[in-house]
Amino acid sequence: MANSGVSNNAERTGEKNVGLASRGMRMKEDQRKKRIPVKQGLYRIPESENDAPALVANRCRSCGEIFFPARQICQNCQGQDLEDMTLGRSGVIYSFATVMQRPASHYRGPVPYSFGWVELPEGLRIETLFTDCNPDDLEIGLNVEMVMEKLHEDEEGNEVVCHKFRPC
Amino acid sequence: MREVAVAGVGMSKFGRYRDKEYQDLGFEAVVNALGDSGFEWKEIQAVFCSNAYSGMGVGHNIAARIGKSGIPIVNVENACSGGASAFRLCYQSVAMGLYDVCLAIGVEKIPGGLLDDTSWPEHERDMGFNVQPANYALELQRHMYEYGSTIEHVALVTVKNRKNGVLNPYAGFRKEVTVEEVLDSRMIATPLRLLMCCANGDGAAAAVLCNLKELKSKRRLVMVGASVLVSETYGNVKGAGSIRYKNPDRTEIAAEQAYETSGCGPKDMDLVEVYDTMASAELINGEKLGLCAKGEYGPLLERGTFDLGGSLPVNTSGGLMSRRHPLSATGLAQIAEVVWQLRGECGVRQIKGAKVGMCHCLGAGGNCAITILKR
Repeated sequence: MANSGVSNNAERTGEKNVGLASRGMRMKEDQRKKRIPVKQGLYRIPESENDAPALVANRCRSCGEIFFPARQICQNCQGQDLEDMTLGRSGVIYSFATVMQRPASHYRGPVPYSFGWVELPEGLRIETLFTDCNPDDLEIGLNVEMVMEKLHEDEEGNEVVCHKFRPC
Repeated sequence: MREVAVAGVGMSKFGRYRDKEYQDLGFEAVVNALGDSGFEWKEIQAVFCSNAYSGMGVGHNIAARIGKSGIPIVNVENACSGGASAFRLCYQSVAMGLYDVCLAIGVEKIPGGLLDDTSWPEHERDMGFNVQPANYALELQRHMYEYGSTIEHVALVTVKNRKNGVLNPYAGFRKEVTVEEVLDSRMIATPLRLLMCCANGDGAAAAVLCNLKELKSKRRLVMVGASVLVSETYGNVKGAGSIRYKNPDRTEIAAEQAYETSGCGPKDMDLVEVYDTMASAELINGEKLGLCAKGEYGPLLERGTFDLGGSLPVNTSGGLMSRRHPLSATGLAQIAEVVWQLRGECGVRQIKGAKVGMCHCLGAGGNCAITILKR
């Protein structure tokens, strides 16, 4: 099942060691609810509340293409020399839609919800949920900024978070 | 390469069948296709069976309803292009001389409501991105922004196709709808409404392909002009991904290959079945196929160009909008329509003197299959 916690997220990405380590840490910590990314490796999540979160991408040193999520091999030139980077938080809406009906599986957030494509100044578009706005306010060309927000709670009461963009 | 004929086609009536198993639907389509082709079951040398939602051994289970003759049976999954992909596997097997007579089957039995598109990564499914109407809505929003197409244009696609579907006995929906009814129907994913989204469904379609020299049927000859399958290439992404490159889209790439292979261009087509999983998909892909210039499809719809009586009829079968969409069966249902049209067997929806027709479908992955048939 999806989203039953850190260990499942880790299995998805094959990062078993990270998953086991996280689980170990969790068992040692108190009973506070955790914030868990929807997938390991997607985000740089700051230690302190004052720092901003960031999307973790990588850039091919051969052809310059940038990938989010980060890839092992460049999809464009198959180069294997990729450097890690984080993306800025600002972008522009390229397209958007508001879903009025609950999807068949997986998604457990509120309905209606809006998502779409946001173009980033680094030179790529990413898919994202939109937040903090009325669906009628969304339009192509609107400036938006990235936030990390709750997607849903998993079976253990942990808060599963993901990137979303909001008008700014 | 040998010349390949479509010896026969067959379908089950698409719909919702709680009382039937996929084996029943597949059996009906295969028996119809065999009867149409003039071949006996024992003459079939290989089977390619497309299905996405019923698990393992689907083609074997359908074949076993007729007989067990030891031939190779391959189960094919290629999402909504599955039926056309099974057709292509038959085509290439016969063209290369491996077999003389092959059977393509497409069959599906799926739940209603929003399709559970399993082709997305888990975390993107968790975020609710794998909603088909919404993804077509994102593409439509861009098309409206860039080319000025309107939601009324999209509604006109539904109205046209549902009108054609009334004349197709295999269609699941055989009732006309008005522009007002389409625009008043429930919103699914802005700006796409219920009657702009095809309904899922249960059904099967089949085709028998053969080496021209083995043809038995005395029906009018239909040849395969091109059977093309492509996946996406890097840098043609209209949505998420690189924005540095402006490479052609999967439909544009497949169309170019199909036109070159067949020696026919968009102007030679007497009819075209365009993948109308959403009404907007016909509008946008009709342009990518070169049926008209970018931004022109909507205005031409208003003028009736793509109607049954127009200069280039599109979705004479009623399309997915009328037929319903049993994923893996759809590609072969499109092919069946063009075969019937080229043979002059379509009765009241017949396009007079049709000589060349084309089928287009898209599938998750993403892929695109284009088939051109000639007589």
